[in-house]
Amino acid sequence: MARVDVRGEICPRPALIVRQALSDLDTGETLVVRGDYPPAEENLRRMCTTHGIDVTTAETAGESDEFELELQVTELASLSEA
Amino acid sequence: MGADAETDSDAETTRLTEYTELHGCSCKVGQGDLDSLLADAGLTGESDPLLFGIGEDAAARKLTDDIALVSTVDFFTPIVDDPYDFGRVAACNAASDAFATGAVENVDCLVVLGLPRELTDNAAPILAGMADALDTMDGVIAGGHTIMSPWPFAGGAISATARPEALLTSQGASPGDQLYLTKPIGTQPAMGATRVTDEQFVETVTDATDRPLDTIASEAIEWMTTPNRDAVSACREHATAATDITGFGLAGQSRVVAARSNVGIELTHLPVIAGTPDLSTLFGYGLTDGESAETSGGLFVSVPPTATDAVESAFDDAGVFYRAVGHATAGRGVTIDDPTLEEVRR
Repeated sequence: MARVDVRGEICPRPALIVRQALSDLDTGETLVVRGDYPPAEENLRRMCTTHGIDVTTAETAGESDEFELELQVTELASLSEA
Repeated sequence: MGADAETDSDAETTRLTEYTELHGCSCKVGQGDLDSLLADAGLTGESDPLLFGIGEDAAARKLTDDIALVSTVDFFTPIVDDPYDFGRVAACNAASDAFATGAVENVDCLVVLGLPRELTDNAAPILAGMADALDTMDGVIAGGHTIMSPWPFAGGAISATARPEALLTSQGASPGDQLYLTKPIGTQPAMGATRVTDEQFVETVTDATDRPLDTIASEAIEWMTTPNRDAVSACREHATAATDITGFGLAGQSRVVAARSNVGIELTHLPVIAGTPDLSTLFGYGLTDGESAETSGGLFVSVPPTATDAVESAFDDAGVFYRAVGHATAGRGVTIDDPTLEEVRR
């Protein structure tokens, strides 16, 4: 399972980093993203759902602002062409 | 004073936005958190000596039958790297809260400024930018307070006056009112693109839109440094409610007006800075849903159908940008269902 850590990254870099990582994946593959910047979580969720990427919140929870998302590439994914 | 500040070579090499994690009005505490905070502190918004206060863009106190004093404070982290531009945006944004209430006379600004020790050279150009911006609003810097801070921030406490009956709040919209917006939205993606400078992603961002990124950014700065004073002066006689578009975004500010006026709001048309919808999609900002944070955004006003001709004529006479963006309805909440997008070029 691919992982990417965007903790400490300043907006809009988290979206760009995740987008690049997702574009390397095939349908059905999953990317786990760890971040520490609440607005980035919202932006990542929005970016993914509009491009056919399933978003689920991973069970692990770190410090209060930290988040971990599981992003799965679906058949509808359109990021690689964007 | 502004010209000297703009050409300061030290200031030009500083990237103010690198010193913060949040930029411009996106550093604003969310509406839900703010509501919880006020409830926890027992601040209900009702205060007898005031015409209005908590929950509105500014507070208003009736001094005499003819004069109301409006006061507000607003400051934020850098949205641009140039300190002079940051000062202009900060002053414009702070004054905007007073203008949203219709108060446009006797504009005074007490500067609120915080800078890290290594950025203190930026204080003078930031202040120069603020002073020059206030000059365009017939306002002055009347004093202020400056501290050392790990994150840079700037803004001001603004006071202004109006006749009490000229004041506007977010509470007066009625079903059927036309809603106007006096600046296009899109400052967050426009300025976000300027923060991507590393080779890894520059091409991705540049290729996301047909327009040059520096053109989009300079237009965003032009909009952010356009005071809402002329806009509210043109419409305050007829408007029923007003607010300005800030960190909550167009949708968030619409939710505020809808809740406080007990109406529904239907947004059908979104004027956007040309090129910013593509950047927003790339960054996941939600611009076309009205959810993207705005910095020093336009005035959002409701006008009864009987007065729309008069208001549009007044906007035209004042040379103010405006677009009809939707209606107040008898429903509740905010609807933005497949709005038309108009890409605006300056």
